[in-house]
Amino acid sequence: MLDEKSKKKAIERLSKIVGEEHITVHETDRILNAHDAWPLSEAKIRAGELLPLADMIVFPGTVDEVSKILVVANDFKIPVTPIGGGAGTCGGTLPIYGGIQLDLKRLDKIYEIDHDSMIVQVQAGVVGIDLEEEVNRHGYTTGHTPTSLRASNMGGFIATRSGGSMSSLYGKIEDLTLGLQVVLPDGSIVETKAVPRHSVGPDLRQLFIGSEGTLGIITEATVRLFPIPEERRFRSISFPDVHSGLEAIRKIFRAGILPSVVRLYDPEDAALSFSMHFEFDEGHCMLLLAFDGAPKKIDLDENQSVQICLDEGGIDQGEGPSKRWWEHRYDMYYPTRLTTGGYAIGDTIDIVATYDKLEDVYHAMKKAMEAEDAVVMSHFSHMYQNGGSIYMIFFTSQPDAETAWATYKRIWDVGVAACLQEGGTMSHQHGVGLSRSTYTADELGSGFSVLKKIKDVLDPNGIMNPGKLGLGVRE
Amino acid sequence: MIEPDKIAEQVRMCAACPKMCRHVCPTFFAWRSDSPTPHGRALLLHQEIVGTRSIDERGVEVLYQCLECSHCLTWCKPEIDVATLVEIKRRDLVKKNLQPAGISRIASLVKDTHNPFGEDHKKRNDWIKTGSSKGKRILYFTGCTAAYREKSSSQDTVSLLESLGYTVIITPDEWCCGSPLFRTGDIQVGLEQAAHNAKVLNDIDAEEILVTCPGCYRVLTGDYPDNGHELNKPIRHISEFLAKTLDKLPTAKFDGPISFHDPCHLGRHSGIYDEPRDIIERVSGSPIVEMERNRENAMCCGNGAGLRTLFSEHAKKIGAERIRHATNVGAKYLVTSCPFCKEMLASQSDEHINVLDLPEFVLKASKGRDVKTD
Repeated sequence: MLDEKSKKKAIERLSKIVGEEHITVHETDRILNAHDAWPLSEAKIRAGELLPLADMIVFPGTVDEVSKILVVANDFKIPVTPIGGGAGTCGGTLPIYGGIQLDLKRLDKIYEIDHDSMIVQVQAGVVGIDLEEEVNRHGYTTGHTPTSLRASNMGGFIATRSGGSMSSLYGKIEDLTLGLQVVLPDGSIVETKAVPRHSVGPDLRQLFIGSEGTLGIITEATVRLFPIPEERRFRSISFPDVHSGLEAIRKIFRAGILPSVVRLYDPEDAALSFSMHFEFDEGHCMLLLAFDGAPKKIDLDENQSVQICLDEGGIDQGEGPSKRWWEHRYDMYYPTRLTTGGYAIGDTIDIVATYDKLEDVYHAMKKAMEAEDAVVMSHFSHMYQNGGSIYMIFFTSQPDAETAWATYKRIWDVGVAACLQEGGTMSHQHGVGLSRSTYTADELGSGFSVLKKIKDVLDPNGIMNPGKLGLGVRE
Repeated sequence: MIEPDKIAEQVRMCAACPKMCRHVCPTFFAWRSDSPTPHGRALLLHQEIVGTRSIDERGVEVLYQCLECSHCLTWCKPEIDVATLVEIKRRDLVKKNLQPAGISRIASLVKDTHNPFGEDHKKRNDWIKTGSSKGKRILYFTGCTAAYREKSSSQDTVSLLESLGYTVIITPDEWCCGSPLFRTGDIQVGLEQAAHNAKVLNDIDAEEILVTCPGCYRVLTGDYPDNGHELNKPIRHISEFLAKTLDKLPTAKFDGPISFHDPCHLGRHSGIYDEPRDIIERVSGSPIVEMERNRENAMCCGNGAGLRTLFSEHAKKIGAERIRHATNVGAKYLVTSCPFCKEMLASQSDEHINVLDLPEFVLKASKGRDVKTD
């Protein structure tokens, strides 16, 4: 931990960089700023526990200030935990070793849209919804609409390889980000050009996308835009089981169709999400589809998709369930009396796998997690030509905090182990943070040593977000 | 009043929310920090309730970095009104004498001078010129802002009412309505104002009480009766009042687009959205050009609940942003229906946009010719 003398000196230097009004050491501010959206953090807050606190929070207003802050942090070997919206679900912004919480919310500029290239440059602290609304005014969408759109910032999206609910059509943030500006731990500012493709060595941009602040701090990005589609049309199909639903999805993509939304709810999730509002066979799954584009194109895609679904044993449920999900897609993100009562805790393990493994991963994880006292419900979403993601959603309620946190950890352990055992990857879009940090080596296998070597070269003092991504874990 | 168990449940949910309303919180906009935000306030309250940590001096400051605009409520599915929870806590802080010095100063000024500006009470409304109409008697409760800071708004209100044939009564015994005190926690001094005003207003022979300030309106229609100070005649906001006489209002062409800013106390807190719009459209003969954030989703002007007293630069930043919203839709006139909002918005506007309180806007039309800003 930082000794008082060094802390005082560091604060003096940092205050000169950002101004006294943009640095705080108040305990109250440090507590309020530590609040993220990791379900374990939220459960601990409800239970009256304190989250790990930084020694200070610094709010830079320019990339140059970020650079100078990192120079100071390196001089004093102070841990630096970047934070944007503080809406991450894996604990990635928790300053577990104290030090500086580097808050990027003041970097909130949206530059002029390049209409010819359909791109826009934005700073890391821009809130997702603010960017989406701004580009909407000019007839565009970012195509990136995660549930946390109102709370997350652009930097956080990129740092965690975020994915929106329409990633099947528009892609994830790694597909949407064309250019990046990153400040390295030594203070140097690196820019990768915004180009659609290139063949100049490895794509350095991709090194930092998903690096969760462990290799540097993302300060700006250039992202792609899409014209707002003329129409978004919804369709829903129920299936007697997960297998037939997945087969239909696979064949839709194989036919060259790219729906914007593809979500297959397993029987438990379908019952919870739709049975109160729509009539469909008990024990059936529910597939939600949406199609974006010109009406004529949608007609073709929709008709062909529905035929594929019917051929696989699906039953047409019209637009109802799919449209309802779209209109209420943020509702599940709000806390309720039930989910915040006692020592209740739930989470989502958002795994990803190819089609040949998806069903096995699903069954293995569900079995393992249910054996640990979890209620498990799932949907397959963010589907692509070669596979897709499963939201393994679990919930448990225990009599006391100690049992609840231990049960939560066991469910995670067995869930991720089952996923890896069956050839899945442990996260599609939520990132690693703390919740998956201990599994990173197993997940990456021989690749983990490469990541560690890169980390050691770029951040020899290990100041950048230590403890996350399985990197820089201290005793 | 909300029961303690209910408060505990609400702050528990809010403190654990992934910040689904923060993007519209005006103080989040002004500070770009997670402290002055709805979940920040709720977390402070939650930690105190469950015994994790008591509220320190900085925590008190955070609780006073709230405009009580309730914009967060518009975006809250569990319908948790953080403004109400903050207000309840502020009462507790004042009881323990833990409020910021600026808030104590407001209470002292109101106690001593009967207005929060420390102005001479004798000059409150003795300057307003009233005529000798013989129509229905309307008791105009001017409110402190219109009386001392937005004089054209109060004079225009009187002139407008008289032009519509009403007899306007103004009492020199009017004190501050108590809104700045109720909203910032000094319920005791607020109730002293309520007791005085209720007696004065109830003793005057008039058919209705009319207010132009939504802060006064909310206090007179809500806080007074809630605390046993019933008024014996109907209380109407100027927008409700004029909306009943649409066909008698003057009309004129305005030389540019007109937008409307919903005051928080009138809109979200009192549910009045249509009346001012109906009036503006009737008077100007043209539809309102709405800002993107309007009605339940309107951004606060930044002037409320003690924020400008304690953090004037941040309050102005919010006001300037609201002006930017109006500029974004090409408004040449930004009308509001609150002298307090008008004061803030006008202070942040430039020559490209003309900010008017509703009575001023209507009276402009009564001049009998097209309205131009030049």
